[in-house]
Formats: sequence, C-alpha cells, structure tokens
Amino acid sequence: MSLAHDPFGPADHIEVEVLIVGSGAGGAPTAALLAEAGFEVLVVEEGSWVDQGAVKPFSLEQMARQYRSGGVTVALGRPAVAYTEGRCAGGGTEVNSGLYKRPPHEVLDAWRTDYRIADLDLGEIDAIADEVERDLSVSYVPGETTAASRALARGAEALGWRTGEIPRWMAYPERGDALSGRRQSMTVTYLPRAVAAGAALATDVRVERLEIVDGTARAAIVTRADGRRGRISFRHVFVCGGAIQTPALLQRSGLHRRIGDRLAVHPTVKLAAKFREQVNVDDDVPVHQVTEFFPHASFGGSASQAGLVALALNDNWRAFNREIIDWRRMSVYYAAITSEGRGRVRAVPGLRDPVVTYHLTRNDRALLGASLGRLALAMLAAGAEEVFPSFRGAPIVRRPADVARLESGFRADRASVMTVHLCSTVPLGEDPTRCGADSHGRIHGTTNVRVNDASLLPTAPGVNPQATVMAIAIRNVRRFIEETRVG
Amino acid sequence: MLADAPVRRGAPPATVVTGATGWLGRALVERLLADGRPGLRALVRDPAEGAALAGRGVEVVTGDITDRRDVVRLFAGLADGADVVHGAGIIHPRVAADFARVNAQGTRYMVDIARSAGVRRFVHVSSNSPFGTNPVNGETFRNQEPYHPYLGYGTSKMQGELAVLAGVEAGLDAVIVRPPWFYGPFQPERQTTFFTLVRTGRFPMFDGGVQRRSMVYVDNLVEGVMLAELTEGITGRGYWIADARPYEVREIVDTVRRALVDEGYQVSGRPRSLPIAIARAAETADRMIQRVGRYQQQVHVLGEMGHSIACDIAAARADLGYDPAVELYEGMRRSIRWCRDQGISL
Repeated sequence: MSLAHDPFGPADHIEVEVLIVGSGAGGAPTAALLAEAGFEVLVVEEGSWVDQGAVKPFSLEQMARQYRSGGVTVALGRPAVAYTEGRCAGGGTEVNSGLYKRPPHEVLDAWRTDYRIADLDLGEIDAIADEVERDLSVSYVPGETTAASRALARGAEALGWRTGEIPRWMAYPERGDALSGRRQSMTVTYLPRAVAAGAALATDVRVERLEIVDGTARAAIVTRADGRRGRISFRHVFVCGGAIQTPALLQRSGLHRRIGDRLAVHPTVKLAAKFREQVNVDDDVPVHQVTEFFPHASFGGSASQAGLVALALNDNWRAFNREIIDWRRMSVYYAAITSEGRGRVRAVPGLRDPVVTYHLTRNDRALLGASLGRLALAMLAAGAEEVFPSFRGAPIVRRPADVARLESGFRADRASVMTVHLCSTVPLGEDPTRCGADSHGRIHGTTNVRVNDASLLPTAPGVNPQATVMAIAIRNVRRFIEETRVG
Repeated sequence: MLADAPVRRGAPPATVVTGATGWLGRALVERLLADGRPGLRALVRDPAEGAALAGRGVEVVTGDITDRRDVVRLFAGLADGADVVHGAGIIHPRVAADFARVNAQGTRYMVDIARSAGVRRFVHVSSNSPFGTNPVNGETFRNQEPYHPYLGYGTSKMQGELAVLAGVEAGLDAVIVRPPWFYGPFQPERQTTFFTLVRTGRFPMFDGGVQRRSMVYVDNLVEGVMLAELTEGITGRGYWIADARPYEVREIVDTVRRALVDEGYQVSGRPRSLPIAIARAAETADRMIQRVGRYQQQVHVLGEMGHSIACDIAAARADLGYDPAVELYEGMRRSIRWCRDQGISL
C-alpha cells in the first residue's frame, strides 16, 4: 500500500525544512534518519509507488513499470554500454538482485587517500554496516540455493576458484525455501520508518531544477503527476537521484564544476549456459558469486526468465535462436569488471534525460574478453553442455578448446556490454581536481546543496554497491544532523 | 587442488626423455644421472650430441618426434612401468609451420605411442603461451585458466596440451607442467643476448618495466618436473612451475645488472624505458609476419615484452609439494657463472 501522498493539495507552492530528491538506497535512509532526528522532511520521487509482489520480480513487466524508460537506457560509446536505473519508490533497491556486500576496506582506504576524504573512518563504516544488516535483515538463503546458483559455485570450485554465497536483504519465513524471501527494499524498511517519524513522501514528482542564488539553493521547481508545475521551498536539499539523474539535475540547476565528469560503472558481459537438467528459475537470481578475481572481475548469475535468455542469445540470433526452446535448461551468467574507463553525464536543454557516454579502455576490453572466457570455462566445469556467449559471431562453447575461439573472436564492440552499477558522477573528497562534493557530500561552492547517493562513490567499488551507498549516506547524514544541531 | 599431502611414487625402471639436449633437458638429465636413475633413454636429433650423452650412460635413440617411426623406435623394448618426460619443442623456429609440426604433431605421436607402450606417467612440458598474457597488468594466471593462445607458438602448445588431454581420456596417465620464461645453466644463445643487452643498458623496457613476469630457474623447473612425474593422484592436471613469485621487468633488469656486477662484470648504459606503443607495434608486426608463415624472433620477443605473464604456483605447492628453492638474484648469479665456465662472453 502506497505511503505516498500529494503534498501540494490545491497549492502550487509549499515549504519544507529538508527536501530529499529520490527515494532509493541514498534517499530513503537519509529521510529516515533526518525525520527521526526531528527535521521536517519531504521526499519527492519521480517514479510511482509499486507494491512488492504487484509485478513479477526480474520480469519484463517490472522493467516497464519500475525502470526508467522501460529499462532501455544507453551510454553512448564504442561499444555503447546499456544501463538500467530503477525509477519507482525505493529506486534500485526494489528491482536489483538484493545481494549485499560490505564496502571492502581496501577500497575505502584507497578512496580516503586518493580523493582526500576527511573523517572516513573504517570502524564507523563497519558499525553502520552492522546496523544496515540488521535493518534489512541481511541473510543467507535457507536450505538449498537454486540450481542455477549451485552450478556457478560447482564450476568455480572445480577450477579451484574462490566462490561463495552472497547474503541478501531478504526476510525468509520460518522453514521457507530459497524462493520464499521477501525483499527488504526501501519501501518496506527505511521509507516506512521515515514516514512513521513524520516524513512525507510524494511520488510521481519530477524535480526539474533547483533555484540557486549565490551558492544557496532556495527552492525546487517540480512537475507533478498531473503535469502541473509546483515549487517547493526548503532550507536544505539532498539530491539522491542516482549517478545519472543526480548530476543531470545539478547541471540543470547551473552546477557544472566536476559534476557528471567521472561516471564509473562495472561493465558486464554475459553468456547463456545450457545444462542437462532444468536450472532455470524465472523469478529469482543466483546468490553465488565468483570472487576469485576481485578486484579485477567478478562473476555471478543474472535474471533468466525466457525473454532474458532470448536477449542473451540475441547477439548471435541466427546461430543461437533455436536454442531458446530449451530455456528451462538454460541460465544467464555475467562477468563484471572493474573498469579503468570513465563516462560523462550531460544534461541537454530540451531533452528530458541526459546524454550519457562511456569509454572502455584497451585494458577494459581485454579484461572483458578474458573474464567471459573464464566464466565460460567455469560453466563447462559445472557440467554445462553448451555455452552461448553474448557477442556477435560468438562460437558455441562445448569444450575447453572452444574457449580459445571465444577469446580470440571476442571484441567488446561486438558484445552487448551493459551495467547495473553506476557511480562516481559527483565524487566526494577534498581533491579539487576531481571531487564535486566535499568529504560529506556538500557540493563545493554551495552552502546547502548535498548529494547523498551512488554519485558520491569515487570509483566503482568492484562489489555490489548498494551496501556502500547506504553506509556512506548514513555517515553523511549523521554528520549533517550533528553540525546542523550545533549550528 | 587436492586435499591431502602429496603421495610419492618410487623411481621407475626406465625413463624416456625428449628434448634431452635442450635447456631443460640437459639440466634434467644431469639431475637424473646425479640421482642414479636407471634406464635413461633419450631421443636426440644430432648424432654428435647423442654420442656425448651415450658416453655418460644414457641410451640414445637418434631421431625426431616429428617422424612417427622414430617415436616408435624410442619406445621399442622399453621396460614396463617407464616414465616419460616430453620436453621436446620448438620455440623460435625458422618458419611458423614448424610450430605445428613439432609442438602439436610431434606431441600427438608421443602421446599415442607412449599410451600403446603402457608407460606409467607421461609428463608433458608445456608453456604459458597456450594461455596468452594476463589481461591487465596486476592480474595473475590461476592454475586453471581458459586457453587463449599467444600467436603460432601458443596455438601449437595448446594443441600439444589438447593431444595430451585426449590421451588422458584414452587412458594415459599424463600430467602437464607449464613453465614460463626460464633462466639458468645450459642457456641457449638467445639468453646470452639477453644478458648482453641488459649489461649494456640496451634491453628494451616498456613503460618503465612495470609488466610482471613469472620466471623459473631451470633447477626449480627440474624439481617441478620430477615432482609431476612422481606424485600420485594428479592424472590429467596441469601446473604452473615457476619461481615463488612473479617479478616486474624492471626488477629483472636491475637484478641481472646487480648479479653481473657482483660476478665482476662491468655494466654500462642505463636501463631505458620505451613507449608501450613500440611493443604494441611489434606485436602487430609479429602477427602479420606469422600470418604469412614466417617467424622473426626479435620482433616476437619485443611484442611479448609489452605484456604481463604472471602465474600463481599455489596449486603446484599444494598438490606436488613444489617449493622453489632458488630466487632471481641467486639464480642469475649461477647462470652468469655457468656462462663464464663455458667460456661464453656476455
């Protein structure tokens, strides 16, 4: 049941103390903590409220209802990198795999040094992670994991590669099985908490721009569900729209310095593996990952309902299309890399969505090919009969020698490179050449514009980023509460 | 990796070595002779070199692995339960077609005939080249990796491995060892050139020499080969056999210069760093040269120097109990002394 309501009523101008733009992994905890600290909070969300269970998880219908542009968004470049963004109450937390990985210490350490982030305390981040894990009931699958998940683990183990089950923010009923979990996304955790503490949530409200005078933002100009304009005045604003929408909004508001210049992603390539037995689970994703190649690459399982298996076969459709009848014996797996490349986000006047570009380096391309080869080998070691790599001209891999043909034939330009992890468009820190925000997320050169989402992460962390996004967001908002109280 | 401590077999009644007059082969035969290994038999192409080995008690069969009849003669009348170390191969041929003829076809003959002869264990000496180079610097080859052969040599060594693995499926007890770049006594002419280039500061390093290279001191490799021969329960497996850790190219160059100085040689010039683009251009040229069936050693080596080839020996440590004793500095000093003892001027 939706917690949202229209805060405007008949008025077209309202005032709040704190405006939060976006209700995902950054915005929702920001709202809950501020509301609980006694701030008057309004969260505006561009997407709609969709109850959990109203659409099938990992389905095409979900893409249509809960993703921006139906899940079809692309960073231009050679190759183009397709990306997806959640666009609904709860943002990406409603639709992602739910896999939880604490921010690795070595990554935080590197950020602190390289980007000169003040007061980034690993002990504090770990303590926040403890809290988040309780709040989201981060847990392992009860009983057996799915066949598709076990296949990945089996293949990796056979090759001597480190692998493990990644816990998820899922609550399982007593004696439940792997498929009985309830996703502990923002709409069932931090958003209800925020509302219970007095915050208001408005969905279907898009912020067009912030009015900023002499470095201080005063109001947001919004478009409401019915298409009318509105104006929301505030004392503080937290922009939490994710790594694409946040820099775009800041740019539309006249903030450009080191905003949207350093987009970082985990570029991902895929394959479909066909086994002798049924492995397909069409409404869940595997929970095992191959962590052997961290920080360079990681492998895992993707959503694999029939339409998505077809999508994975699509790059070589003429050769692979007849395989789709066996989709129940198939599952899709991915290899994600830590990329040296960077991209840009640019708001363009007159266009609703920003133009996004991304450049893969020579090393990125080599690593994508090598990682896809390793993943294919793991599938063979797991007992796959046939492996269908997702790139134009790919061979069917049936034996180890075929992997050599895969790797020699691989060109990133022929592959469907995609990503679901987007970050680093407003890096935090005191390095004046790279950081758009200060060490706690306030945009340099402004008094009251703060970012508190994945945009702040200085690099793509090499692991599923939601836990890191939440930990950094909670750290920042606590600092804000402290400072604002003292001030 | 295997769970338990390695279990060893005793020495076999007979041991067949191919490539016995090569860099690894000579070191291996020295070790086997020193150990008093009975029934040593070697396939040798050059009768003069064969005579030298025969003089030391090795039974010499003159012939070539690329001739099936020679391979049949190699195994004729062999004692039951013999082991084979197949070290023959070609790395810098005159024409690219020799790669397939020697490394792939020759290995097929060896595998087929060894299997018919009922050998106990077949150790195949492969290479890093079937696996190419690390995708990015900082990455390391794990023990099991997908094939991604580096040019003609890599492809032929991959085909050699595939022949061995097919033999395993047909019942041969074979194990593959994969050494990267060797160094140490019995070194061929090309390694002398390497020393000379380093001594005079003319060895080309790219981007400051940050690429990582696994290397293996030849006695470490001999140790690894013998462990692969004599360890139970590893049929069909392959192992990196290298020094304990990979070295950066600049460390290799610095260490060789230091070892030369400490052995009383004068070093001159300073190691110089070239733009990586030169290595990439050489790699492209190498590819084109090999495509038309030719081979140019300098261009090949130059192209490969732009890449990292680092491998992880954890599996060899665990499964074979391999524990390389010699590291770069000590190994290089021994190599330099060996050269001096042979009257080779560096």
